[in-house]
Amino acid sequence: MSAFGKDSAHQVGLLFLLLCSAAMHGQDCAQPGLNPQERLSRFRDLDIRAQSAMQQKRFAEAVQLYREATCLAPESPRGLYGLGVAQAASGDFLSARESLRKADHIQPTSPLPLAMEVRINYSLNDIDALKANLREEAERFPRDAQLHALLARFLAEKKLMVLALAESLRAQRAGSADSDSKVQLAILENAAGAYEDAIRNATAVEKQSEVLSALRASAAGVAGLSYESTGQREEAIAHLQEAIRLDSSRENSYLALADLFEQGQKYPEAVSLLEEGRKNIPSSSTILLPLGADLIRIEKYQEGIDVLRELLRRDPGREQAYLSIADASRKMGNTAQELEALQALSRRKPDYPMIHVLTARAMLNTNPVDYAKVLEELAAAERMAPTDPDVFYLRGKVYAATGRSPEAITALKRSIDLRPLEPSPYYQLARLYQKAGKSELAKEQFDRLKVLEAAPSN
Amino acid sequence: MFSVTRRELLWLSSSGLLARHAFGTEGPQNLSYPLRTIDGSITPPKLFFVRDHFDQPEISIESWSIRIEGQVSHPYELSFSDLVELPSKKIEAVLECAGNAANGSAVSNGLWEGVPLAVLLERAQPNANASFVMLEGADSGKLFEDRSSLPYSQIVPLEKCREDSSLIAYKLNDLLLPKRNGFPARALFPGWYGMDSVKWLKRIVILGAQDRNSNFQQSGMDRLYNRTRHVSNDVKITRVSSVQVKSSVAWPNDKTKLPAGKYSVWGFAWTGAGSVRDVALSIDAGKTWDSARLEKQSNPHSWVRWNYSWQAKPGEYVLMSRASDGNGNRQPIERDPARKDGYELNWCVPIHVSVR
Repeated sequence: MSAFGKDSAHQVGLLFLLLCSAAMHGQDCAQPGLNPQERLSRFRDLDIRAQSAMQQKRFAEAVQLYREATCLAPESPRGLYGLGVAQAASGDFLSARESLRKADHIQPTSPLPLAMEVRINYSLNDIDALKANLREEAERFPRDAQLHALLARFLAEKKLMVLALAESLRAQRAGSADSDSKVQLAILENAAGAYEDAIRNATAVEKQSEVLSALRASAAGVAGLSYESTGQREEAIAHLQEAIRLDSSRENSYLALADLFEQGQKYPEAVSLLEEGRKNIPSSSTILLPLGADLIRIEKYQEGIDVLRELLRRDPGREQAYLSIADASRKMGNTAQELEALQALSRRKPDYPMIHVLTARAMLNTNPVDYAKVLEELAAAERMAPTDPDVFYLRGKVYAATGRSPEAITALKRSIDLRPLEPSPYYQLARLYQKAGKSELAKEQFDRLKVLEAAPSN
Repeated sequence: MFSVTRRELLWLSSSGLLARHAFGTEGPQNLSYPLRTIDGSITPPKLFFVRDHFDQPEISIESWSIRIEGQVSHPYELSFSDLVELPSKKIEAVLECAGNAANGSAVSNGLWEGVPLAVLLERAQPNANASFVMLEGADSGKLFEDRSSLPYSQIVPLEKCREDSSLIAYKLNDLLLPKRNGFPARALFPGWYGMDSVKWLKRIVILGAQDRNSNFQQSGMDRLYNRTRHVSNDVKITRVSSVQVKSSVAWPNDKTKLPAGKYSVWGFAWTGAGSVRDVALSIDAGKTWDSARLEKQSNPHSWVRWNYSWQAKPGEYVLMSRASDGNGNRQPIERDPARKDGYELNWCVPIHVSVR
């Protein structure tokens, strides 16, 4: 509301004129006998009280006060703008839009009613109307860089990236050419998919030694991400490394670069980078997950588990960490630890996809195997995913191990039905037939296995 | 949109008319990906097919604009900001290269967003004699040795441009168009083959019925994308436009060997005329047909995913799929022998499968 310049002499004059005009037009309001000066004074009082109500989030009261104010001065843009804002804050977006349109009509030289209407139309999910506001702003205020930058920021917050980019471009054209807005533009270009433009803007700032390191780091990071999106991996790595050199306190740079290393299966490099990130940003939990997973990938199982346990101490909701610990434990041959991790995940999120299948599989590696419990897990898995072929495959294995051949055959055949291109059940089935002395049937399954193995691309 | 077939390419090369640059190894992209790699029914941008005639142009969103001119009272220019702030429309639509092989993968289905072309044209106020629209891209080169280097261009009847579904698209699957798919804006004519959906759009020129000397003719583009039909001693040449009804088997591939078992044979079906009505599958080279299941109701412009549950017993099989559309069109079993061009290749392709 301060945008209407409440203290300026010009504004007071304008208000006075409007109030005089209101005196002629506002006969339906019950404010008898007030002279123009009294009206002005009353208007100011209502305005101050309404602002105070707004600050204290008493929006309905603010609406009422602004209504009284606009009753005194029906053509006061300040009153109508205040009313519109208060109506929007109280959730009455349609009335708010109407009030703002009136304000805009009365004082077309101010961009604020239209800018506020953008917000309201967003709340009303009326994107066509929002676009109409933007077009009007562009036509009436083409040189107002600050306005277009403000709109860009709002639209970006609301994830309307292409419109945010459009406004950011308008801001640039209107003269908003400082490094900060160039980086903002590059961020939007990268987010919207205009990668070449993002690279050009970001690298321009990245190279400017007189610019703050943190801003240059942002620019280098954006350039890295855009290079990655255009498939230029080496360039992407170079820029992300530069981003880290310029500002080692940004976890996103480490994460993005580690991701690139992982894509290239350069796990030792990823580990060393993430270790550096962990050292520079000890409070970052986000770095720990890829670090733990990458340590496991380079077979440093216990170190990986330790990192992931630290992560879970900080944030027990990181479900992937339980699975990675289970994976590492299995690779270490520590079934008890594997089961412990899976059961912890199951307690935390009982409907985690495949949790029962993973648990059943781990249980099959214990010694001795508690087959009854494995079957219980598989029954739970089947309840969650009735057509999961792994349920039937593992059940087939359990039945085979416990001498229940007919049930094993049924389960394995079901697994094959559900996933006919997976070789393992054919092998298990063939072995079962072999043991039962049914060599023809065993051969049939071995032949099918050969067909699959000969055409792995199926 | 590089849709010259091998036969046509050989003819063009032997006639010495084909400019090397147009089909050289350095620039124009020709990319497509097996349909079996698509989950669901929307093609991810990285799997979207690409057919270029020339090098992809370098375009900055900051300086790009599109000009609308020609037989109009009010020629004008739009920046990227101007374009994306106009009311837009979203359409799920399939785009197929006119020269896509019968079971080829130069076909993709995307969720497009853009401004109706009719809106842009009306703002320019076309004159009474306006009949056609030439769409020109920022990519350029020589199509033929005897022609100048000119921008890629196509001409589309004004009536088609005024259809609700004809767009100037700037988004694909909720992101800005990838560079290789026409960034920052391209034409989109759902139901028509891809060559008319001009990428990297720079200029829209409204033409009168008698305007015959545009870049389209001068570049030699009028010699491509024509249906050539030989009947007796007569040759009939007509322009290719509307997509023919077609289905494709995404899985299994030709010459696949499978163990006996129950399989889901699947693929996609599409048409330029209305919606796909049904898809049938034959496992005996077209002797008998059985209905496949459409995974959702078919909509105009987009493709529909279909599947067929097949209990495969040991033996040799020839699978074929065949789609029909709501306008009574059905895929032909074989190519029309009178056709001498390489477009509209929509016959039912045999897929050989050996089951053990």
